[in-house]
Order: sequence, then structure tokens, then C-alpha cells
Amino acid sequence: MNGAVDEFQFFLEKEWSDGFPVVTPTEERVAWMLSGMQRDPEALVGDIPPAMEPATVRDVAIHALMAGCKPEYLPVVLGGLELILRDEFNMGGVQCTMHGVAPLMIVNGPHAQKIGLHGGNGCFGPGFRANATIGRAIRLLLLNLGGGIAGKASATVFGSPLRYTACLAENIERSPWQSLAQSRGYAADDNVITCAMVESPRLHFDDCSKEPQRLLRGIADAMAASGSWNMWFPSNVVVAMGPQHAAVCANAGMSRKDVEARLLELAGRKQKDLKPGGNWRPERARAMGIDPDDDEAFIRAVKTPEGLHLVVAGGTGPVTAVCHGWNDSSRAVHGIYDA
Amino acid sequence: MTTDLPFIDPTRGVSKTRVPAAPRPMDLRGKTVGLLDNTKEQGDVILETIAQALRERYGVAKVVTWRKQFYSKPAPAEIIDEMANEVQVAVAALGG
Repeated sequence: MNGAVDEFQFFLEKEWSDGFPVVTPTEERVAWMLSGMQRDPEALVGDIPPAMEPATVRDVAIHALMAGCKPEYLPVVLGGLELILRDEFNMGGVQCTMHGVAPLMIVNGPHAQKIGLHGGNGCFGPGFRANATIGRAIRLLLLNLGGGIAGKASATVFGSPLRYTACLAENIERSPWQSLAQSRGYAADDNVITCAMVESPRLHFDDCSKEPQRLLRGIADAMAASGSWNMWFPSNVVVAMGPQHAAVCANAGMSRKDVEARLLELAGRKQKDLKPGGNWRPERARAMGIDPDDDEAFIRAVKTPEGLHLVVAGGTGPVTAVCHGWNDSSRAVHGIYDA
Repeated sequence: MTTDLPFIDPTRGVSKTRVPAAPRPMDLRGKTVGLLDNTKEQGDVILETIAQALRERYGVAKVVTWRKQFYSKPAPAEIIDEMANEVQVAVAALGG
């Protein structure tokens, strides 16, 4: 190392630093990161908004290396970046918004299992290298090449712990149902990423319900809150149901579709209960085709089945994690990546 | 990109070049002013108020309003081009 430059300080002092040290990118290490990759390192993956700096496969490898990834994680980072740059996901809007949502990656398929992407105890972190570093690689790309820096391009009021990393698998071993990807028509051996713009998880504890109706009523309640944008815009909500809660439903004969349908039906509030606080406005009600004076109108937390992303994740315990969404300019995306 | 480092600098810095702001006219009389509504609630109210003030107090000849498709997305290039061709001054509103 050149004595004149402290490599740790060099990166920590960059305005796009996430505040943690990075693995110093050297040519040898980047070659190692690219060692299993068939794609041309100079191939363009996409331009990252709002700065629109181009990210090549090699750029992605450099950031994956800095984030602490292993080479076998690189296909997930590349696949994730390609997905979040799709126009309908509107990453550029989230890079600049006051809000604090992050692109949560839910990874299904054999490659995720092979590399140890975690969906069990503590899957939102910390403690799991694949989860921690794949999401971090995406974030470093969004910061450095995208310029989504708080106080610069990003007007985010709070940011979010989910902006350090946002990547997990499902707890397939403990799930009574097919995976999220399979429920959308993918095969069990497809390697699939689903991305949704959501807030950090809110934990919903229920160690009382022995049958699904009470359990789901409570989870639905956690999905609907005044002040959440998903109340007033067709948006996304991720429900990461703990295996114990999923078992309560499955043991009562409920399929994944049954649970999704029940949550869609139950999650919401009467308009009169949203008026005393939060982001209710008459023009927002009207934009949804609802009379602002109709106090009994039921405002759904999730407007369409596509907006609800139900996964089974986490460890043993009576808990489900609920992540609220953003606005209707971002639609969730999913697709197969080349592992 | 810095070249004398013993490691890779992943910073491109190409599009982060500072672009100087366009010169501001000191007098708006007789000018055409473009207003860009970002579609957020009450952005239109703010712009209507500004348009009235521009006409009545500053002698602006013409005010033309454009509207984005969605506040969270950039204005389409066609709108930017139209505005650039038609107006001498532009005001963007963020409703809220």
C-alpha cells in the first residue's frame, strides 16, 4: 500500500460512503470477484439514477467486492440491479424522495440456498454475510454511481436501517406453502428475485391466536396505519410471516392464496378513522374514486393482489414482520437471474 | 478517476461535473414564463398564484403551464424541450 494514502480513510471520506469500511478494491481482488462470471466485464448493466452514471459488470463487481461479497454472490447483485433499474420500479424517484423506502430483494431458488442467503432467524440482519453484503453492494452502487446521497440528490427525511442492506430469502424449509416466486408462476428451480419498495419492517407479535381469523385480523391491522402511503396510493406491502404464524393458517387448511385474499380483505381502515391524523386529504380520497365525506368508506391498505408480497421468513416465535410501501409510481418487479 | 492510487477508485465523476446555472434576467417585462406543475397536491394552486403575480406585478407577457405525468418521476424530455423552446424563464412547483 502507498504510504501516502490510507485506503480506509480514502473510502470512508467519500460522500457516498455508507459509513462503514470497505474491502479495498484491487485489480487482483476484482479479478477474483469476476472469476466465475461468464459475462463481459465491460457490458453495461444500466445507468443508475439520478446521476445516471453507467454501471458495467465490472463496476458492479468492484462494488460487490467493496461490500464484502463472495464471487458467488455477484449474480444476485447483478440480477438485483437489473431489476431495480426497470422503469416501472422508479428507482430514480426513491433516490430523491423525502420518504425512506428501500428496494427490498426477496430471493427464491436454489442459488440463494447454495450461497447461504438467509431466510430464518434474524434474516433482516445483522449476522449473515450474503444478506448483509448483497444488499450493501446495491446500496453502494446507488450512492456512488446513482448519487442518491442524503442532503444532495436525496431529500430523505430519515433514511432507513433498510438502506444499509435489504436482501433476504424465504424460510422455505419451514414454509407450509410454495415460495413467493412459485406463486407467481416460476418453477421451483428458477432463481428469482422480487423487489418491492418498502419501509423497514414493523414487528407484529401475536402469541395468543390459535386460529387464523384472529391472527390475520391482527396482521391486517399492522398493514393499515394512518401516515402510510400505501393507504392512499396503489402500492406494495411485504408481509414476512413467521413460520409459526404460517403454521396456524396452514393447520387450519388455509393455502397461500387464502391467506393473501383474507389479508387483502381485512387490511384497511374506515375513512373516518384515517381523518384524525396522518396523510388523509380530500383530494387523495377523490383520486381513489372515494367520496371524502363518506366516513364509512373502507380504505384498503393494499389495492390490488399484485401489491401484496407474502413470504414465510424468520425463525421460531409468534411474530410477523410487516413492511409498508411507498406510492404508485413504483411497481414491484420480479424476474429470473442467471446464477 | 484517480490514477496514482494503489487500488481502484470506483468513482467515475463524469456526470457529477457542475453545470453553471443559466443567467437570470433582471427584468421580466414582456417575457414568456413557463410553469411546471409536478402534480403534487396544491402545486397547481401555488403556480396559479405565481402566474397572477407575474402578470400583475412584473409585466410578464405570457405564462404557459406544463404538467408532469407523476411527481416522483422526471419530466419527459418532450416537456423540457418544449419549455426550453418557448420560454425565457421557468418556475417549477413542488406541491405538498
